[in-house]
Amino acid sequence: MLFAVLLPLVLTLLIPFLSKFKDKVHTGIFVFFIPLGIFIFFVRFIGEGFSPELESYPWIPSLGISLDFYLDGLSLLFVLLISGIGALVTFYSIFYLHKSEKLAHFYVYLLLFMTAMLGVVLSDNVYLLYTFWELTSISSFLLIGYWNHREGSRYGAMKSMLITVFGGLSMLGAFMLLHVITGVTSVQQMIGSVDLILSSDYLPLIMTLLLLGAFTKSAQFPFHIWLPDAMEAPTPVSAYLHSATMVKAGIFLVARFSPIFHGYEWFFIVVSGIGIITLCWASYMAVRQTDLKGILAFSTVSQLGMIMAMLGFGTEAAVFAAVFHILNHATFKGSLFMIAGIIDHESGTRDIRKLGGLMTLMPISATLALFAALSMAGVPLPFLNGFYSKELFFENSLHIGDTTLWIASFLKQAIPYLAVFGSIFTFVYSMYFLFGTFTGKQKLEQLPKKPHEAPIGMLIAPAILVFGVIFIGLFPNLFNETFLAHAAKAISGEDTHEHIVYWHGLKPAFYMSLIVVAFGTLLYLFRKKWWSIYRAIPGSLSFNRVYNGILKGLDVYTAKLTKSYMNGSLRRYTALIVSTIIIVTGLVMAGTNGFTFKTDDLAPVTIPEILVGIMVIAGAVGTILAKNNVAAIIILGVSGYGQALLFVFYRAPDLALTQLVIETITVALLLLCFHHLPQLSRRTEGAGFRLTNAVIAVGFGTLMTLIGISAHSSKWFTAISDYFLETSHDLGGGDNVVNVILVDMRGLDTLFEITVLGIAAFSIYSLIKLRSKEGE
Amino acid sequence: MMSNLAVLPIIIPLVSGILLAFFHTKTPFVRHAAKLLSVISTGVAAYVFYYVLQNGTVTLETGGWEAPYGIVLVADLLAVTLVLTTNIIGLACIFYAPHSLTEQKEKFYFYTFFFLLITGVSGAFLTGDLFNLFVFFEVLLMASYALITLGGEKVQLRESIKYVLVNLFSSIVFVTTVAFLYSVLGTVNMAQMAERVQEVEQQGILTTIGILLFFVFATKAALFPLYYWLPKPYTVPNPVVSAMFAALLTKVGVYSIIRMFTLVFVHKMEVTHELFIWIAGFTLVFGAIGALSTNNIKLVIAYNIIPAVGFMVMGVGIYNQTALSGSVYYMISDMIIKAALFLLAGAVAHVVGTPDLRKMKGLIHQLPLLGWLLFISAFVLAGVPPFSGFIGKLMIMQGGFADGEIAIVIIGLLSSLLILYSIMKIFVRGFWGEKDESITIDKKTVTALTWPVAFLVFFTVLLGIGAEMFYPVVDDISNQLMNPEIYIDSVFKE
Repeated sequence: MLFAVLLPLVLTLLIPFLSKFKDKVHTGIFVFFIPLGIFIFFVRFIGEGFSPELESYPWIPSLGISLDFYLDGLSLLFVLLISGIGALVTFYSIFYLHKSEKLAHFYVYLLLFMTAMLGVVLSDNVYLLYTFWELTSISSFLLIGYWNHREGSRYGAMKSMLITVFGGLSMLGAFMLLHVITGVTSVQQMIGSVDLILSSDYLPLIMTLLLLGAFTKSAQFPFHIWLPDAMEAPTPVSAYLHSATMVKAGIFLVARFSPIFHGYEWFFIVVSGIGIITLCWASYMAVRQTDLKGILAFSTVSQLGMIMAMLGFGTEAAVFAAVFHILNHATFKGSLFMIAGIIDHESGTRDIRKLGGLMTLMPISATLALFAALSMAGVPLPFLNGFYSKELFFENSLHIGDTTLWIASFLKQAIPYLAVFGSIFTFVYSMYFLFGTFTGKQKLEQLPKKPHEAPIGMLIAPAILVFGVIFIGLFPNLFNETFLAHAAKAISGEDTHEHIVYWHGLKPAFYMSLIVVAFGTLLYLFRKKWWSIYRAIPGSLSFNRVYNGILKGLDVYTAKLTKSYMNGSLRRYTALIVSTIIIVTGLVMAGTNGFTFKTDDLAPVTIPEILVGIMVIAGAVGTILAKNNVAAIIILGVSGYGQALLFVFYRAPDLALTQLVIETITVALLLLCFHHLPQLSRRTEGAGFRLTNAVIAVGFGTLMTLIGISAHSSKWFTAISDYFLETSHDLGGGDNVVNVILVDMRGLDTLFEITVLGIAAFSIYSLIKLRSKEGE
Repeated sequence: MMSNLAVLPIIIPLVSGILLAFFHTKTPFVRHAAKLLSVISTGVAAYVFYYVLQNGTVTLETGGWEAPYGIVLVADLLAVTLVLTTNIIGLACIFYAPHSLTEQKEKFYFYTFFFLLITGVSGAFLTGDLFNLFVFFEVLLMASYALITLGGEKVQLRESIKYVLVNLFSSIVFVTTVAFLYSVLGTVNMAQMAERVQEVEQQGILTTIGILLFFVFATKAALFPLYYWLPKPYTVPNPVVSAMFAALLTKVGVYSIIRMFTLVFVHKMEVTHELFIWIAGFTLVFGAIGALSTNNIKLVIAYNIIPAVGFMVMGVGIYNQTALSGSVYYMISDMIIKAALFLLAGAVAHVVGTPDLRKMKGLIHQLPLLGWLLFISAFVLAGVPPFSGFIGKLMIMQGGFADGEIAIVIIGLLSSLLILYSIMKIFVRGFWGEKDESITIDKKTVTALTWPVAFLVFFTVLLGIGAEMFYPVVDDISNQLMNPEIYIDSVFKE
């Protein structure tokens, strides 16, 4: 399995080389054999005796991340879809994409996607699953942006990435919580620890995070908005990623984790609730679209909602129906996308308002579309697979399990009505798509190209899918025991033995189908009469506006917010930094009872000391109040000389000397600088500004003083300086301890302080020289 | 184990820097010599790393003055790992520099300042003495002042004055705090500080002093709400300088936080580490918001430094072995990717002539390799597997969940999305779209500017896919961090 998953990835390395020959051989031909090979490899697993297989390779075992691949019925269904549809789409793309396009890019992204998607459905390790999950988002982003010279393409790509990566990250959150709770990273082992999970306090959070991942990926309401914009991608991509496979990853995720949440009622409420809302909303919205692919996009959203709803029902029969519909949807929707692509390719437009009457010009496409669209509509004919799954859906919507919460009971009552409502619109848009394109008046003058039937190569892939529609329709039970039952069992955990029949008798489900057809036909025929309802609902409301609003808001408000405090004023920055330090440190000091004050080891304070102290303080205050820069510097000098005097009192003549020298030089240097600087008067600031600054300055001074006093009052240990005094002569060879400390005991400090001075000197030199040299 | 090895990563760049100053006018020679010296320095750092990995912490009592009285260098696994990372980044920068700098700047001691910056950074990682840490901070800061003003353009001077003044302020607070601590503990040796703080159970004023020290480092590390000085000044010097700053300077701050708050101040976690989590949360949010607020690609990347630091400090705040491993892993990954991104943005701005995103389009046609490197970097930053950012973030967030810190993890996840968006915007708006015919490129320069970026991005990919190779090292580091007595014993029990 590892080989199968990585095979497309490995081939991406060869694509740049293979694409060199694209003038002679279309690159797609090489690629075609990859999904085909994978399909053939996996199709042999179909059979009644199938049992799940696990393959494991180490990757980052220390973090519980390993390449665990698990093939059960559910993954097998998806693997066959991915590789089967993948082969057909690649084949189709050979005719769809002209050799002048950047084929190498296209196929590299496509192969990247295949690996990613196969990885998603085969991973048993949650982190591996997440890795592949994000890789599907990335490859989808690249494919939507394939024609990135178009604005819409870039917009759609970014939108899909943001929404699906948002979901992915939230899913990662769920996975981490599950890992922390269960201590394992394997999905199957997590299912084994279901009791641990269900009894966890985090259960609602886990479910929410997980479902956010699923709903965003599977374009469920209200996250569906990215899918219509994803239609900017080349049509083979839409057929493949955005209809048959990637968008079903969310379905897969819900199915995969169903065994864990099965007994949790909120799971039913959220999954079925959102699913059924999605079904109704998207099918309603599909009728409004004018772009063929837009109709299909909304249709895909609504069908995904239907599958999601059935997974939420959770009954064995509903799960089986969901699995059955995953397969059916892939067949009819895949073929419809390809036909939409053909129409676009041959007529130059996908705008349904310009199309019409193509039946006579494109008879084969029309025939294929007829079967696929009728199947999608769920028309009760015994050779359309869509009808069977629709009928199963109705039946299961009437047989939801027991509920206890009132909201669940309410939902249970409402679902059958909503199911019918959604299906009526499904019928309408199917007819709209079919008849709007192929019947009615021809408007050839509005088309960029004169339409004609597509080349045979392009028709083969949709024909095979339509064949699938009819074949499954004729023999709906053919794969039950060998294939679908295994998939259903993987989800519901129970052995499933469903038998699908065409004629159920006069049961409610059949009446529901009749209502759908009757009302659907009426609504379609009189659609011009009620069309104006779209002006009321949704009117100008749309979730796109929410998304655009958020992005715009991010642009505008992040800039506003950031500019509001990053205003470039150093005074402002310092004020903010110092205030933060005062507040937080002050609070910590108060909270931890940090302040202590002891006077027992203080020497008596003499009058000269007090006088010098006053001098230092006066100097500091005077500096601030001085009107003139030169005066300020000189007054500041008073403070410095005062400190030097204090050193003299405390019998540190060397320090006093140093201080004196520093003060003298600083004052002299500053005076020299000001001589050369232009005469700047001090800026006069408002009283409020000065008051704030005064408060901050005094606050910081107070804080440092309090900490200083406390630190002095908390001498709990003998200082290491005693050792210096003792050993200075014997070990250091000097009687001036300070000197020995500087050059020997802490010589390293001195070495690097000298380095600092050296750097400063070089820096100043180059600052002066380089400027004058470059003539500024 | 006592060995002179501990001092080599400091001495070699110091001597290199001094030597190169003598030949500063002979540009071609200096360039090659700098490359050679950088390779030697990296090689030695790699050897020291290997040696420590095999034999455990190496210490050196400088001048033969025994600990705790003299200055002791402690080359533990965390320190040597960071030293090695520093050298690898330096290597990439030194190969990038000649193509990005004007010859004038090279002549005016760029390489000297460069190596002295490395000296300061390596020294800060290796020292086991708080006052000596202050000294190395001064070395690296002075070198950074020299580098940021090199060239002396108007905008450079305007922005760097802010940088210099804020850092000077924090240096003053730093040295004052060291004095406070010396008053209480009677020592500046970190190991002895740890012992003594433990002895008195971090009572009284100690926690307050600890928080003050935290703010000193937080200012350097650019945590909320102290990072104002960072974004703009980081965009004005040459990209090679920005890359060094982004990769190294803030991380020295983070390293110091990790060191002091896993070794010394670990007895009032309900105050200190809880505070870190809050600060980390705000840092994540405001940093990511900042990154979205601008169209200057250099500024976007500069803002992205901030949430990354938030992630690292989040791990320290959570304080369990998983989260700390994550912090260290993320730090290594982030040092590399930030350097790569600054070099990359510099190359792009060099080609286009402006860092303004609104003036870019369709660059993928001219700069395909840089475009894809940017694309990968976006995912490294956002923490998408299989790249290195994921491994670090995963461990930090797992650690958070394990300790019930739900809110901060969710903030972390959301900020990852914003980070991805901020970089992806550059890719979509700048690299996608119609080809801009007015942009012409000099292929040779672009190639020379691209390879160092590719070299660094390669490491982040390797750190992601090959995480199993590196994990044991990081696990060992976090084990040492969780058990401070290992550090203390390595200093005293010889």
